[in-house]
Amino acid sequence: MWSQILEGIKIAISAIRSNKLRSGLTSLGVVIGIAFVIFMGWFLQGLDFAFEQAISTLGTDVLYIDKWDWAGRKSWRETMNRPDITLRQCEELTSRMQSAEAASILARKWNATVKSGSDNYTGITVVGANSVYADIAAGVIKTGRFFSPVEDMYSSNVCVVGYDVVKNFFGEGTDPVGKELKIKGVTFTIIGKIEKQGSMFAPPWIDNQIIIPIKSFLNIYSGSNKMMKNISVAIKAGGEENVENAKMEAVGHMRQIRKLQPNQENDFAVNESQAFRDNIANLRLGVWAVGIGLTALSFLVGIIGIMNIMFVSVTERTKEIGIRKALGARRRSILFQFLVEASSLCFLGAIIAFVLCSVVMFAVVRFGEVTFLTPYIPPNLLIIATVVSIVVGVLAGMIPAMRASKLDPVEALRYE
Amino acid sequence: MSTSSEHEQPMLIDIEHIAKSYVMGEETVHALKDISLKIRKNEYVAIMGPSGSGKSTLMNILGCLDTPTKGSYILNSNVVSEMDDNELAEIRNKEIGFVFQTFNLLPRYSTLKNVELPLVYSGMPSGERKERAENALRAVGLGDRMGHKPNELSGGQRQRVAIARALVNSPSIILADEPTGNLDTRTGDDVMRMFEELWLNGNTIIVVTHEPDIAAHARRVVRVRDGVIESDTINEHPVSAIEKAHEVELSEVAA
Repeated sequence: MWSQILEGIKIAISAIRSNKLRSGLTSLGVVIGIAFVIFMGWFLQGLDFAFEQAISTLGTDVLYIDKWDWAGRKSWRETMNRPDITLRQCEELTSRMQSAEAASILARKWNATVKSGSDNYTGITVVGANSVYADIAAGVIKTGRFFSPVEDMYSSNVCVVGYDVVKNFFGEGTDPVGKELKIKGVTFTIIGKIEKQGSMFAPPWIDNQIIIPIKSFLNIYSGSNKMMKNISVAIKAGGEENVENAKMEAVGHMRQIRKLQPNQENDFAVNESQAFRDNIANLRLGVWAVGIGLTALSFLVGIIGIMNIMFVSVTERTKEIGIRKALGARRRSILFQFLVEASSLCFLGAIIAFVLCSVVMFAVVRFGEVTFLTPYIPPNLLIIATVVSIVVGVLAGMIPAMRASKLDPVEALRYE
Repeated sequence: MSTSSEHEQPMLIDIEHIAKSYVMGEETVHALKDISLKIRKNEYVAIMGPSGSGKSTLMNILGCLDTPTKGSYILNSNVVSEMDDNELAEIRNKEIGFVFQTFNLLPRYSTLKNVELPLVYSGMPSGERKERAENALRAVGLGDRMGHKPNELSGGQRQRVAIARALVNSPSIILADEPTGNLDTRTGDDVMRMFEELWLNGNTIIVVTHEPDIAAHARRVVRVRDGVIESDTINEHPVSAIEKAHEVELSEVAA
């Protein structure tokens, strides 16, 4: 059997080599098909990777009680008309929560201006939170530490900074601990640095944030009434299996706190990082639908091309088939020979596609600075594409190969 | 030559009342009407006949490329007339060595690969295959041409490659179809000498031809006409190709 396969491959290679241009052109359809398969898989894997990374930065078991619904399940107008969530309501909720591992008030000031010495930076997000936020979604503290409950309680002027903040103020890789920043004229001492977390689906501000104790935050920004309205609560359920419990408890407390009647709908949103999965599922589906459609189309073209050229090849080599049969080739030997030839043509297409895709991928990742995609073809896709190309070859070669195998040796030998 | 020793040889080909007809359009062509033929091991037979006589059809049936419509054909105790395509392929591979008028070598293969081909289909491992093919090529005097492609060889050399290919499986019969038809007289004689040597070494040779000169080398001549055997005679005065070659050499030396 193996010697037959080897023999078939040798025959196929010599047949392909004697018709280089024709073979190359024929396999073009397969090249395009395989390239589609690889690009699609590559992009989807990158997408999944980036998405999982983003989810984990938000925390897979974290709930955000907010006025705004992230998944956009309610109309914007309806959401706008909801009463704001006040600081007091937030304090009430965090103190009442029983089933969750941790709950922190969360307030944000977007687009803040921060100073260090004479340097000025705008576009920074200042986050006010409790000390437990360290365990919820603050990210990993690489250098230094998060602020303590005591610093939280006494509204110490300490802060934890994101990766890009350090990069912009002090240069990449510097240890910022002990350095000072001025937010709205108040001096804060940096006590910790958060590891880089940004990726495609993570909020763009995630590396450009400064986290300070919630009371310090209120001290700075309490003059602005508006700030007090943009408050939410982050709740870490403590394990994904506990998310439903925590959600029910939080909803119950919030309804009580906001004095909702039983017949009234919730006038707040419970956001989960999981909710993003719905959005990404649609994107995935879109990529798949387009990808599969294009792939199927190009494979159809590829199969027709290969089938056509195999018919030509069988006709051209009628005499050869006659000779082989006269010398004792059985039907299945001839069938096999042409199937291997068709598969080799497709595999040739796959190899061309591998080279093409590798070049494109490397270029995209290198020069496009895309972080969520691999700069090479993922190995599992290499295997899938190889198998697909061989299957396509067998499909395309089957009818011509059957015709070849059934040729009458007398007729075939007479053919000139 | 003693004919009695030939009759002690076992029966190789036993054809009984075979007929072959084709349907061509609305007409049925009876290529072979009623043919019975027995050939023993180590015979040297020429099958003669004009074109359209059914000679080619008979050769195709003898070579197991085709089966008769009627009658029975037993080759080396295999009932060929009842075989299907794959069984025929197997019997051709085992029992028959073909030598064609147009050589029928595969142009992309080296001579060695061409000679190996029947062994590939008999499933022999590649090492053994190569050794046997090399031996066969040496036997026909082409030991130094193994890597050449057919188009790098002369007509005579190509036919010798074909003979090596026919021999390599040690078949029961060597079946040659107009083997000198595409060769000049000199190389043709050379090929006939080779057949004679093979016959002297115990092989069974069947040569299909329309040339009396070629048939004259055989020890038995079967004439076919209009789908029946017209005559089947022992050649009392066969022309020995080996002796002829000696004479040519001597005359060349003399000149």
